[in-house]
Amino acid sequence: MTHVHEQDEVTVREIPAARWAAIGWLVLVLVVAATAAWEWRMRSLGLRAGDLDDSKWHWAVERRRLEAGDHDGVVIVGSSRILFDTDLDIWSELTGRRPLQLALVGTNPRPVLIRLAEESGFKGLVVVGVTPDLYFMDRFSYIPQYERVLELWREESPSERVGHRIGLFLSRHLAFLDEAYRFAALVERIDIPDRAHVRRPYLEVWKLAETSAHRQHRMWPRLERDERLRDHARLVWGPFDGGGPAPESVARAIAESRQAVETIRARGGEVVFIRAPSAGLYYETEQMGIPRARTWDRLLAETGAFGIHFEDYSEMQNLELPEWSHLSRESATHFTRAYVEVLVREFPGLRSRPPAEPEK
Amino acid sequence: MVFNSLTFLVFFAVLLVLHRLPFSWTAKKVNLLIASYVFYAVWNPPFVLLLWISTLIDWFAARAIYASRDKGRAHQRAWLLISLTANLGFLGFFKYGEFLLQNWQALMASFGIAWVAPEWDIVLPVGISFYTFQTMAYSLDVYLGRAKPLSSFLDFSLFVTFFPQLVAGPIVRPGQLVPQFAVPCRATRDQMLWGFGLIVLGLFEKVVIADAGLANVSDRVFGAQVPVGFVDAWLGTLAFSGQIFCDFAGYSTIAIGSALCLGFALPDNFRMPYAAIGFSDFWRRWHISLSTWLRDYLYIPLGGNRSSATRTYVNLMLTMLLGGLWHGANWTFVVWGGLHGAYLAAERWIRSRTGVGGDPAGAWNRLALALVTYFLVNITWVFFRAETFEGAARILAGMSGLAWDAVAILPTIYMIKTGVIVAAIVIVQWLMRNRELEEVVARTPWWVTGSICAMMLFAVIIAQGSGEAFIYFQF
Repeated sequence: MTHVHEQDEVTVREIPAARWAAIGWLVLVLVVAATAAWEWRMRSLGLRAGDLDDSKWHWAVERRRLEAGDHDGVVIVGSSRILFDTDLDIWSELTGRRPLQLALVGTNPRPVLIRLAEESGFKGLVVVGVTPDLYFMDRFSYIPQYERVLELWREESPSERVGHRIGLFLSRHLAFLDEAYRFAALVERIDIPDRAHVRRPYLEVWKLAETSAHRQHRMWPRLERDERLRDHARLVWGPFDGGGPAPESVARAIAESRQAVETIRARGGEVVFIRAPSAGLYYETEQMGIPRARTWDRLLAETGAFGIHFEDYSEMQNLELPEWSHLSRESATHFTRAYVEVLVREFPGLRSRPPAEPEK
Repeated sequence: MVFNSLTFLVFFAVLLVLHRLPFSWTAKKVNLLIASYVFYAVWNPPFVLLLWISTLIDWFAARAIYASRDKGRAHQRAWLLISLTANLGFLGFFKYGEFLLQNWQALMASFGIAWVAPEWDIVLPVGISFYTFQTMAYSLDVYLGRAKPLSSFLDFSLFVTFFPQLVAGPIVRPGQLVPQFAVPCRATRDQMLWGFGLIVLGLFEKVVIADAGLANVSDRVFGAQVPVGFVDAWLGTLAFSGQIFCDFAGYSTIAIGSALCLGFALPDNFRMPYAAIGFSDFWRRWHISLSTWLRDYLYIPLGGNRSSATRTYVNLMLTMLLGGLWHGANWTFVVWGGLHGAYLAAERWIRSRTGVGGDPAGAWNRLALALVTYFLVNITWVFFRAETFEGAARILAGMSGLAWDAVAILPTIYMIKTGVIVAAIVIVQWLMRNRELEEVVARTPWWVTGSICAMMLFAVIIAQGSGEAFIYFQF
């Protein structure tokens, strides 16, 4: 043995005298039993194995597909509304194209649109979902984990990519692996009286949707039938004060959008804007704080882009929005069919491919 | 890759299988070396080059220092200088480059010269502060005549790169680890199970306590841009004290457990620091491998306590200031180190005046002094956690009760969980103050140990850590 350091002794670790084999078996049995019980409980709450639980890593995968040219010439950017309210199978059925879904919950899609214009050579159709209170704000997101999401597709380490794949594999078999149902998240949902003016964790957004392959989101079935969850979601949207963005913010948003539209058009692409439905108190506060004439109409007029506002189409009325901001599963399919048919009429070239089989 | 990731789970399982296959000892060490490079490269592959360069430089520098021992000290000094320049050069460029430029810009501005530092878009290689200290220690030991150069390049490379301690310590000395590479070793069943137990404990500390339990509390308080009240400021700081301990001690515990599963022993890095009585005691318990490194390679070479009292205080302050700067390129870290230096100096002065050494008599006296120590340590954490002096001042104002126009920040549930977790950490550390974990486990009935371990593992599973990096990776 070579003893190289005269001062330092070779480290030796004592192993405590214990019945290690018995301990090992006990741990195994208890953990398997507890995890099975937890899984059963989570399934009884409506969680489902195969719900892939969307995250920034999923977004990065789709963004890389865009860069690699692995797409059908349609990209969707936006916030949660266009994400939940779009049925990618319907897109495939009607156009033979399956869009890349790059909308992201709780974010302003403008920076994504600008980067698509400036950093990618994409020259297909960009569908931009406009959720007024997010699209015209000055920041990208209020959600901390999305802070550097737009760089992630490039910067993601090999370790993170492998971890994401393993996570996907496990999510296909275990229902409890849902970020909204982490133990810490459940603890913070305890409804206890709080101090004045403190943003309560109880009022954080709970689980709203399920995610399947390629970021296909659909409203979580339990939300459609559970009044408590629905009322909670409405309560969460409640604090939205309807004050609306400052005129300078709206002007900046429109100017940036115009620039992006022009850049994409200059290389042969096209941009359309879609205002998906909202309802109830949420819709009313939007009307007060972010009236259409001051935002949406100006956006279309000044960018020269085509837009679909749900209010303008009879086939987009009377849809079901359980928590006022997102469509139920059935209504999402209906809405997608309606808006894609409008798009196909406006851009006949969209149907240049034979209708494809829905992805399994 | 991070320990609290699914990638590591798979990586470690494959490595354990490989390590138990009937390969030759050399082949197993080559496996470990390659695995360690993979462990590092999956963060950012190009940075493996730095690791290789650092390994090569210190390998050759140490040999040259030893070979030129008959040619005079100047010759040896030149080789040592090459090692130090390369290692500290990398560290300086990647870690302190932007800091230096910004300070230069501020200095120029104070002379009225409008010079703007260029954009600095350099990524900090993970763990560079740790492995540069480890390789430098090797060359310094040979230069100081405390060691001979190793004869096996494979063993040396593995010493520098051994994955459990590569990116966040413990900073291991050659003598502690290299001899273990010399002879074939394979973990016994009990060693492996104890190793797994330590991994579970470390994951529990990191995933459940630090990330799920405390991180959002300290983030909310230290991220506040408004005056913070007394209760919020204290709870945010206490939450950070628990978070930083569980994050870093958790990493070290997983590192020790992983190494043990492979049959290797790494030294302790923490010994119940929040039960420390006084600051010299604290630094014997907190980040032990760094504090002993600073003692052996900085404080003692500066003269230690061998000269005058004044010189000793200067050495102490210099060591702690540089120790602070080691943690990050920000003046707030320097102040953190300076405060610890001041505490150590004050303690030394009090002890020299009163002639009191060691722990005081009486349990209540010890408890009171431990709480005073913990209180003062928490003051230092404010500078460690705050990104700016303005932020630190905001928290300190709150902690002093001087933030008159403060608004409530923490929700009730955050206050409750912080109180419960931090109290549990302090009580457990106090009860374990003079005990080793191994001793406690040996005395505990097997089914209690098994049940606690199962609870911790189950908590890790349902906490579903999102693979957040360890705080010390940024250092």
